[in-house]
Amino acid sequence: MANCHGNHEHGNCKTTGLCPIVTFPEVVNIDEIRDEIPEVKTFYLSFPNKDVEREFRIKSGQFIMCTVFGAGEFAVSLPPSPENDRFHISVRAVGKVTNALHALKPGDKLGVRGPFGNGFPFEDIKGKNIIYVAGGIGLIPLRSSIVHALQHREDFGRIILLYGARSSQDLMYQPDIKEWQQNAGFETFITIDKPEAGWNGEVGYVNQLIEKAKVPVDNSVAFVCGPPVMFNSVIGEFLKRGMSEDAIISTLERQMKCGIGKCQHCAVGRTLVCTDGPVYTYRQIKTLGEQI
Amino acid sequence: MSMYLLSAHDISALVTELQASYDVYGPQVEPQTKQVFFDQLASAEALDLAAPIPSMPVKEILFPQMERILKYKYDAQSQSVELSKQYFERPKVLFGLRPCDLSGILVLDRFFLGQEFVDDVYLTHRRQCLLISNTCLHPFPQCFCVCTHSGPDADEGFDLDLTQLKDGILVRVGSEKGQALADAHQWSVASAAHAAEFKAVVERSIDLFPELATDNKAWVAKVMNRITTGFVKPETWEYIGDQCFECGACSFVCPTCSCFNIEDSATACGECERLRMRDSCSFEGYARMAGDHNPRQPVEDRRNKRFFCKLSYPQSKKYLRPGCVGCGRCQWVCPGDIGLPNVVQYIRREITGGQN
Repeated sequence: MANCHGNHEHGNCKTTGLCPIVTFPEVVNIDEIRDEIPEVKTFYLSFPNKDVEREFRIKSGQFIMCTVFGAGEFAVSLPPSPENDRFHISVRAVGKVTNALHALKPGDKLGVRGPFGNGFPFEDIKGKNIIYVAGGIGLIPLRSSIVHALQHREDFGRIILLYGARSSQDLMYQPDIKEWQQNAGFETFITIDKPEAGWNGEVGYVNQLIEKAKVPVDNSVAFVCGPPVMFNSVIGEFLKRGMSEDAIISTLERQMKCGIGKCQHCAVGRTLVCTDGPVYTYRQIKTLGEQI
Repeated sequence: MSMYLLSAHDISALVTELQASYDVYGPQVEPQTKQVFFDQLASAEALDLAAPIPSMPVKEILFPQMERILKYKYDAQSQSVELSKQYFERPKVLFGLRPCDLSGILVLDRFFLGQEFVDDVYLTHRRQCLLISNTCLHPFPQCFCVCTHSGPDADEGFDLDLTQLKDGILVRVGSEKGQALADAHQWSVASAAHAAEFKAVVERSIDLFPELATDNKAWVAKVMNRITTGFVKPETWEYIGDQCFECGACSFVCPTCSCFNIEDSATACGECERLRMRDSCSFEGYARMAGDHNPRQPVEDRRNKRFFCKLSYPQSKKYLRPGCVGCGRCQWVCPGDIGLPNVVQYIRREITGGQN
C-alpha cells in the first residue's frame, strides 16, 4: 500500500489519502467466528502485517474482495464502523466460495483486497433525520453506517431503524441492536413476516412499519437495503409520502470479479457498481434502466 | 514530425536488431492455410507487411485469452498461506500493426490505465512496449475504419509508422521513443515528394473502401446519438437480440472488448493459480450472482450492452474515441447477422423508416 496502484488524484486515494489493496490480496487471519442466524456467520479478521492494518481505513458503505484460498474470491460489504470497531465480515453461505468460507475455522487465513466503492454520503446529510430500512441480511451493509451515526449522534436528528425478517430466527445482530437501543433517541421498530409463539413485537412486512413509526419525510434521508421485493414496496411507500428521490439511498449488489472497474461484470446502466457505487440514490437507480 | 525513407533491407535489419532486446511480434502468413497471425517472429524473414488483416486482434498479446495473475499455496494443517506474485515480462515490439489494431490498443490503454484505478496486469504487458504501425493500402471486404476514424492510416499513438511507397518504405516518427530509434540509425530523410505520395496513397486506399463503409460514414455518429439518448426502439433491440447466438465470438475478436472473468483453479493439492480470462457480456451467466439471481436474463438486455459499449458517449469519454475501431472482425465471425456495421444499418433503417 505504500505504492499507489491507482491514480492518486481520483477516488479512494484522494478522499482518504490512503490507497486500497488493488491487485494482490493481503493475507488476514480469522481470529473468531460467530454464528449469527441460520446460514450466516460473522468472521472477525486481523492483518498479520501491522503496516497494512494501520493504513487499511474504510468508509461506511464500502466493500472488499475476499479470497477463500482454494475456492475463489467474492465481493462482500463491510459491517464494521470506520472508527473503533473490530474488522469483520458477515456472510451467508449461498454459493461455492461462501460455502467454503463457512467450512473454515479460527486461525485459517483469508485474502483481502480493497476497500472499494463510494460509501454512504455522510458529509451531505449532517443535521438530517436518518431512517434505516433493512430486510433480513440487508442489515449487514447498513450496520457500519448505524454504528458510525451513533458515534456522531449529535450530528443527526432522529435515527430510526425499521427492520424486518422472515422470523425471529432470522434477525441479524440482535446483541448489537440491544446495545444501540441504549443510545438516547435511537428508535427501533422490528417486524417478522408471520406470527410466532413467544413473539410480542410487530408482525407483517417492513413497509408497514413506515406508517407505524410515523416516519418524518422532511429533512430526512432513508437508507434502504433488502431483497428487491422489499426494496420496491418500501420505495413506493416513501414516494407516496412525498419523500425526495434523492433522499432515498440504497446499495446495489452485483457479480464482481475485479472491484476496480475493469472486468465490467457489475455494469448497471451506464455505471459500474464497484467504482460508481455500490451506494446509489433512488433517482440514480431509476435512470439505470435495469432490474435491481 | 520527422520522416525517413527506408529500404526493405533496412526494415529487416531493424527487426533483427530489435530482436536482441525485445520480443518482436508481427504479421505472418501461415504457409499451408494462408491464415494471417500476428505472432512472435522467429526471424525478420517471417514478417509480411503486405499480409491481409490478421483474423485475431493484436490485443491477444497484451490482454491474452487466459493469463495467470497469482499463484498461491495453502496448508490447512499449519493454517499457512504463501502468495507468489512475481511475474516477469519481456519488453515487446508490435511491428506492423494495422491502424485499427493500433486504435484498439489505445482504447485498452485508456480503459485499463487511465481510469480511477490502474490495472497492474495490463501495465506489466504494456510497459516498455514499442508500437510500429503500418498503413493499410488495400481495405478488406468487411473493413469500415473510415467510419470510425481509425484508418486506413494511423494518426496517433504509434512510435513509428510505416507506409509502402514506390521507392521504399516511408517511416513517420510519432514519439520520443521512435525519434530515439531513428536518431540511432543513418536513415535517409524523406523528401516533400514522398510526403505528398503518402497523402495520395492514403486517398487511394480510402477510395477502395466498399460501399457499406463509405455509405455508413455519417451514420455511425448519428447512431451513437440515438444509442446514448435511448431513442432506439425496443423492437429494434429485440430484432438484434433475436439474432444473437450467445457465442461470444464478437467479443473475442474485438480489439476493444476488455471484459474478463477471474477464477481460482487448483494445480495440485493445496496449490492454486488465479486465472484471468476474457469474458463476453452475451453469455447468460455473465451477471448471474450466487443464489441464482440474474438481473440480466433476456438476451436483448445483454446484446445492447455490447453496442452501448461500442457506440455511446459515456463509453467514448473513457476511450476518448468511439469504442469501435472499424476492423470488421465481428461482421466476419457473427453466425447471426449482427456485426457492428449491420447494427448501424438496422438502427439507420429505423431512423429513416426503411427508406435507405
